[in-house]
Amino acid sequence: MKIVAVTACPTGIAHTYMAAEQLEKTARKLGHTIKVETQGAMGIENKLTENEIKGAAVVILAVDIAIEEPERFDHIRKIKVPVQAAMKNPEAIFAQI
Amino acid sequence: MKALLQQHKQYLLTGVSYVIPFIACGGILIALALAYTFQCHYVDANGGPDPTQAPVFVQDMLKIGGKAFELFPAVLAGFIAYGMAGKPGLVPGFVGGFIAAMPQTINGKTASAGFLGAIIIGLIAGHVTNLLKKMPVPKIFKPVMPIIIIPILSALPVGLIMLTLNTPIATIMVDMGHVLESLQNGSQIVLALVLGAMIAFDMGGPINKAAFFFGAAMIEQKNYAIMGACAAAICTPPLGLGLATVLSRKRWTEEQRESGLAALGMGLIGITEGAIPFAAGDPFRVIPCIMFGSMVASTIAMLGHVGDHAPHGGPIVLPVVDGRIMYIIAIVAGAFTTAVAINSVKKFTEKSSSVEGVKA
Repeated sequence: MKIVAVTACPTGIAHTYMAAEQLEKTARKLGHTIKVETQGAMGIENKLTENEIKGAAVVILAVDIAIEEPERFDHIRKIKVPVQAAMKNPEAIFAQI
Repeated sequence: MKALLQQHKQYLLTGVSYVIPFIACGGILIALALAYTFQCHYVDANGGPDPTQAPVFVQDMLKIGGKAFELFPAVLAGFIAYGMAGKPGLVPGFVGGFIAAMPQTINGKTASAGFLGAIIIGLIAGHVTNLLKKMPVPKIFKPVMPIIIIPILSALPVGLIMLTLNTPIATIMVDMGHVLESLQNGSQIVLALVLGAMIAFDMGGPINKAAFFFGAAMIEQKNYAIMGACAAAICTPPLGLGLATVLSRKRWTEEQRESGLAALGMGLIGITEGAIPFAAGDPFRVIPCIMFGSMVASTIAMLGHVGDHAPHGGPIVLPVVDGRIMYIIAIVAGAFTTAVAINSVKKFTEKSSSVEGVKA
């Protein structure tokens, strides 16, 4: 399954990237394709393109803050979880898909 | 109700995420300028640093840092409102926050509504903007809504509310400062214990950030002791766990010893998150031990009158810390406490559980 995700924590230097890594690792393990955009202290990195969002079945938002450009995800199914959830128990998030 | 609170927490954290670099820039530039002034003995009659005698460059540094700090409430309120209402929230948020930053004289003391005022007015600005966005308008007026109508109709009431709240909130800030200053040993210890426990508990998560932000906001009010206690507590979880892997190599797997070295590095630059790889695999033993270590560190720092002028922790902020010796003692004591605690806990519990560190 094609999945896109966004991670963002308040400080944006550690948890954002750890959560992204966990999501990528778990997706690979479960046989999904995933692209994770990080919105850390450096701003948007690994930005999701319009086509990638359109082609994905679901977007995982592992965020503790309001994200930038949220309107991109207006027309796609969203799963919203705290950043901690993506770090500690990513399998549970994928179980919701 | 719970969802509503959750949502507001997210708004606040959005504001915090944008304001942290401003506090860091302002805090560190001011602290470095003052430290230089003091080191070179440019002092006034009372023995305090007197920047007017310092080189022009140092005075400029102080000014630039001061300006970054002055922006703090405006940016905080602006981006809280932005998190709630998007772009249209920026105007009322920034204007309201800027009013909150205005210096006032209260009982002979200079103060401002500061971060507390900014948080309140940021939330109000977001709600006001969201209401205005819902206003039904004829199609012909649609284009002028976001560039003329909403900015004026939101900034005006929000500004009026903030002007009304300004003095009461500034008075609260002054009183809060008095309470913090008048804390005697007993209550100081309680405060330090709570801060230390919060810092370590979720290693950089929302609870950690709450304590951290309290410390950072107090820097703006010229109380450096809270951040001093936080700064010592921030670095001890990764330092302590890293130390534990060095002190007792056989209790840790090859992989853990490697993350131990990484944790030491993270600890030195004040990143509590370095402890997460350990806590994720073994939370029930690791988290109490790092909380204990951080509580020791923050208490020693508080009682040793450590002050931190930068909103960051760990040995890396040493140049801008008051009471450097006590700061180092606090960190070393906290790290050793954590290391000895986790190694002893592992020693006593390992026999019964042979599956060490694999229940990720």
